[in-house]
Amino acid sequence: MMRIFSSYRTEIAIAVAIVVLELALGILVPNALTFGNISDIAQASAPLIIMAVGVLLVVITGGIDLSVGSIFSLTGMVTGLAMNSGYNSVLSTILGLLVGVVFGGINGFLVTFVGLAPFVVTLITYAVAASLAFIVTNGHSLPINDQNYYLLNGGTLIPGVPNFVLFCVVLVIVTEFVLRRVVAGRWVYAIGSSTNAARLLGIPVHRIRFSVYVVSGLCASFASVLSVSYISNAEGTAGEAMMLQAIAAVVIGGASLFGGTGSAFGALLGALMITVIQNGVNLIGINSFWQGSVTGLVILVAVLIDRVSKARR
Amino acid sequence: MADKGFLLDARGITKSYGPTHVLRGMDFAVAPGEVHAFLGGNGAGKSTLLKIVADVVNRDGGTLNFDGHSVDEPQGAAARARGLAIVHQELAVLPHLTVAENIELPHYHRGLALFDRRAADRTALSALALIDRDFAEHAAHRLVGDLSLHEQQMVEIARALKSGARLLLLDEPTTNLTAGEAQRLFAVLRRLVSETEIGVVFVSHRMREIRQVADVCTIIRDGVAAVHRKPVTELTDADIVELMGQASALTETPVGGELPAAVSAAHVDAPRLKIEGLGFPVEVGGGAILGLAGAPAGPQALIDLLIGAAPLPGVVIRIGDHPQGYRSPREAVRDKVGFVSGDRANRGMLSALPIIDNMLASRRIVERRVLVSGKEAAQARSLLSALSIKASSYWALPSSLSGGTQQKLIIARWLQLQPRMLVLEEPTRGVDIGTKRDIYALIRVMAQAGTTIVWWSTEQTELVELCDTVLGFGPDGRATQLLHGAEITEERLAEATGMAA
Amino acid sequence: MPRQPGLRYLLAAACAVIGLATVAAHPASAADKKLTVAYIAPSLDISYWQWVAYGAKTQAAKLGMNYVEFTSENSPGTQMNNVRTALTRGVDAIVMGPVSSSSTPPILRLLKSKNVPIAFTGIGPQPGSTDYTSAVTANNYETGKAEGSFVCKAAKALGGNKIGMLSLPQDRENAQKYLRGAKEAFAADGCDLVQVLQTHGLTVREAVDQANDLLTAHPDIKGIYGMYDEAATGAAKALQTRGLVGKITVATADGSPTTIKLLRDGVIQGLFLQEAGGQGIDATTQVFNALTGKPTTKDIPLAEPLVTKDTIDSPEAQATIKRVYPPSAGAF
Repeated sequence: MMRIFSSYRTEIAIAVAIVVLELALGILVPNALTFGNISDIAQASAPLIIMAVGVLLVVITGGIDLSVGSIFSLTGMVTGLAMNSGYNSVLSTILGLLVGVVFGGINGFLVTFVGLAPFVVTLITYAVAASLAFIVTNGHSLPINDQNYYLLNGGTLIPGVPNFVLFCVVLVIVTEFVLRRVVAGRWVYAIGSSTNAARLLGIPVHRIRFSVYVVSGLCASFASVLSVSYISNAEGTAGEAMMLQAIAAVVIGGASLFGGTGSAFGALLGALMITVIQNGVNLIGINSFWQGSVTGLVILVAVLIDRVSKARR
Repeated sequence: MADKGFLLDARGITKSYGPTHVLRGMDFAVAPGEVHAFLGGNGAGKSTLLKIVADVVNRDGGTLNFDGHSVDEPQGAAARARGLAIVHQELAVLPHLTVAENIELPHYHRGLALFDRRAADRTALSALALIDRDFAEHAAHRLVGDLSLHEQQMVEIARALKSGARLLLLDEPTTNLTAGEAQRLFAVLRRLVSETEIGVVFVSHRMREIRQVADVCTIIRDGVAAVHRKPVTELTDADIVELMGQASALTETPVGGELPAAVSAAHVDAPRLKIEGLGFPVEVGGGAILGLAGAPAGPQALIDLLIGAAPLPGVVIRIGDHPQGYRSPREAVRDKVGFVSGDRANRGMLSALPIIDNMLASRRIVERRVLVSGKEAAQARSLLSALSIKASSYWALPSSLSGGTQQKLIIARWLQLQPRMLVLEEPTRGVDIGTKRDIYALIRVMAQAGTTIVWWSTEQTELVELCDTVLGFGPDGRATQLLHGAEITEERLAEATGMAA
Repeated sequence: MPRQPGLRYLLAAACAVIGLATVAAHPASAADKKLTVAYIAPSLDISYWQWVAYGAKTQAAKLGMNYVEFTSENSPGTQMNNVRTALTRGVDAIVMGPVSSSSTPPILRLLKSKNVPIAFTGIGPQPGSTDYTSAVTANNYETGKAEGSFVCKAAKALGGNKIGMLSLPQDRENAQKYLRGAKEAFAADGCDLVQVLQTHGLTVREAVDQANDLLTAHPDIKGIYGMYDEAATGAAKALQTRGLVGKITVATADGSPTTIKLLRDGVIQGLFLQEAGGQGIDATTQVFNALTGKPTTKDIPLAEPLVTKDTIDSPEAQATIKRVYPPSAGAF
């Protein structure tokens, strides 16, 4: 029990902060604490959580993935285009997910086997995927006409639990389990801790590093199809703001951009924190231009708390 | 009380970290014109005192004077800032800059000043020439990142010498140096103290070096001075070890060919390691300890080949039934060939991961584990107690342990796995005498169990004490000689490595 | 940092490809004697500007002109570079959606010295400027007023007078004009504007979240006033999820295949069509007239006519929609 407490110190602090923030908001705007609003927050944060979990894996290895926002946009356009061209929704979704796998694979290949810096590589794929997102439909946004497609996001595989919640929870728990209890997960941390030492230890550095980029791309694509299903619409700019939000979520959640630390729960809470702030700013009626400043301050506070709590150890 | 003549005079220094009292009234004084050995076991408070002297850590109590003035006053603080130069064990060089820039850049205090490249080259050259003229001439324009570790160390010492410091603090400066280079360094130090009246503090775990270079010594034990400013000649080796609180280490029988006959005989007819292409064949049986001696170039290349980290053209190795050597460290580890490095930060420790992950890293690969099983906690506990490592928890980060203990941890990775071969790269670097003995014992146990040991050390006494066979490498990295059993003496080693002192 | 020879090759290859592409694209316009018009958009990732581009392009073809286009990526600096590049390429006239009105004076000075006609679309030049051929703009203030009045009356019919607004960023001139008109209408008709939420990315996803937040903070609103097309799509989605379709009225400016379908389905009630394509058509016609010595009209404020479910299939409405977006965007 103590161990859980001490190894999830940062995560607990953020969870408490979110609860406090939400309660304070409840005092200002009573409706903030209704079931409806909480479920709005969950719905709004779901794609970001999923994207952040993918980015987290890359960040733990000491890398960075700037391409997730563009992959998100492109996936939406490809899925939408496929459905508008008459493919059924399952096939279209698989096509969309393939976008993430392909771009993640390109990232992973260039970083791992060609040896380019992750920042540079993902900057390239970020630009390419973003422009492809406009090219595929010449920039038009696409309505989704399949009336049942929303079920992917809002339907219920388990009665009473909307799919987007189910997907998020399962993905976070599985990722956390892999990171903590599966050897490959420990290797992800090992690579971020010291690539050279990891290689000499016999850890399959290349394979693991390649995989995290693929998973990151896949998560971004998955987040995108959920989002497309929710709003029944695919847009070329959909993911533009999300890349920095996902990185922010991971950092708020206690991961270090130098690698070696971070947890899936942290990424989940970081993404929730960002959404809660957006929701709060809108509910209170603060000019939404302030949102960025508030998010920036929260990142600062989160990073400082993390630093102080680590210095004490 | 305070002698005006001392460069550095620390009295009654105390320092606690939480409930742990690291220093409990430590005295330490250095006079100009002396080489002062500062000794103590890992965890005795040595590094804390050095950090306080260097103004990295604040002291809780006691007085600290530099050049006769308290460092709490501006005059003393300024004297310290000007007059103290430190060479850390962990190198503080800038790999992307040239040797000359590394030596000269710290002396530029204004960002807008023009960097005079020619003057920098000149001064860098003269500083380096104090240590090694050959090196100075060909190295000034090279990038420090392209140099070997020991060359980087020379750059750092040159920088300290160049800074005009009056007190030079060398924290295990010979760790990365070969015997010959160390001798040159000592000569430089002796010349400097006699000619310029600077004071040198010398931290080392190597008894012979202390005798060679130091005039006086101070020994720290449990946070107080067990010996304060005593001439080295007045103490025997046994005295020093006892005063450091590591007497038990000496009572242990030294090794070297003392394996039980049955064990060694069992492996003689099963040659495990063959190396061809070095100019003469090298063959060692299972359970033998093969020492590698000489400047880093040769041993390091051979080690990289043995563990599959990098190929070495022209050299073929055969390990047991695995004829071609290994293409990657992963393949080697899966074939139970282990590697332990003294370069913990870069090649050994996974510093962001808790102790348990570090200890079990190799086991997970050898046994091809998929899940982190619940049994691992028990394994970690048993390893920790077998090594008598006091860790607050195996979930703590390795940085909570002393350097020597971390080193034991890395060796422990292979302890219960019965590896076919274990390759060690200066495993006792920066480790105190007591821990060294522990490490020797661990290695001996593994050799007795049939593991072939390959051990590179720059400390010749170590090779003489432990090895059955020693492969010597010359300064150019070429293998020179193979010495067996009784042939392994310090003289023969010096000859084989081309570093006659 | 390890050196990266691979990256250098990549860069060199990229430069070569870009260079070749530029060279290959160039001679086409230099060879013949046709007039060339350049369309400079503030940013082409917004469909509105693409539709303007479509209008300009089709009209240029109809008038026998060559057509080239540039995007300024919302930066006045890039916009100026685009103008210079266009002049270097030897274009005869420019149709421009400026990044902002205040970014236009240096461009007008430059074009006057080169004697190149310019027509603005969507956003007009700095007030007081005279050296331009034409400005084809939407009358945002009047539309704002009309839409305000429409939403307010519909809200009252639903038994309330509280309105929420999904606004364009208020640093934009057209957003300010819409808001001013809307406020006047609300004051006149007795409605209460309870909250204004501004968009950042103009995405549907953001509008859904904002509409949800709007409905949580003010459950008693009866009307949602949208300033941009995605606002209505997002509000519609939020209402559908909450089962509030028909209980809260939604209207917006712009119009797209998505919102027209929502209008036909009765999820949203009013669309104030902004003739994006029409602006491109009219602006191109004006510069063509200037080049061929025909009379030009300085200011053309296009009305944004209201369409509802009942009027959408009228010939006038259909004609207007065809001046909004190209057939490739979707059904009318």
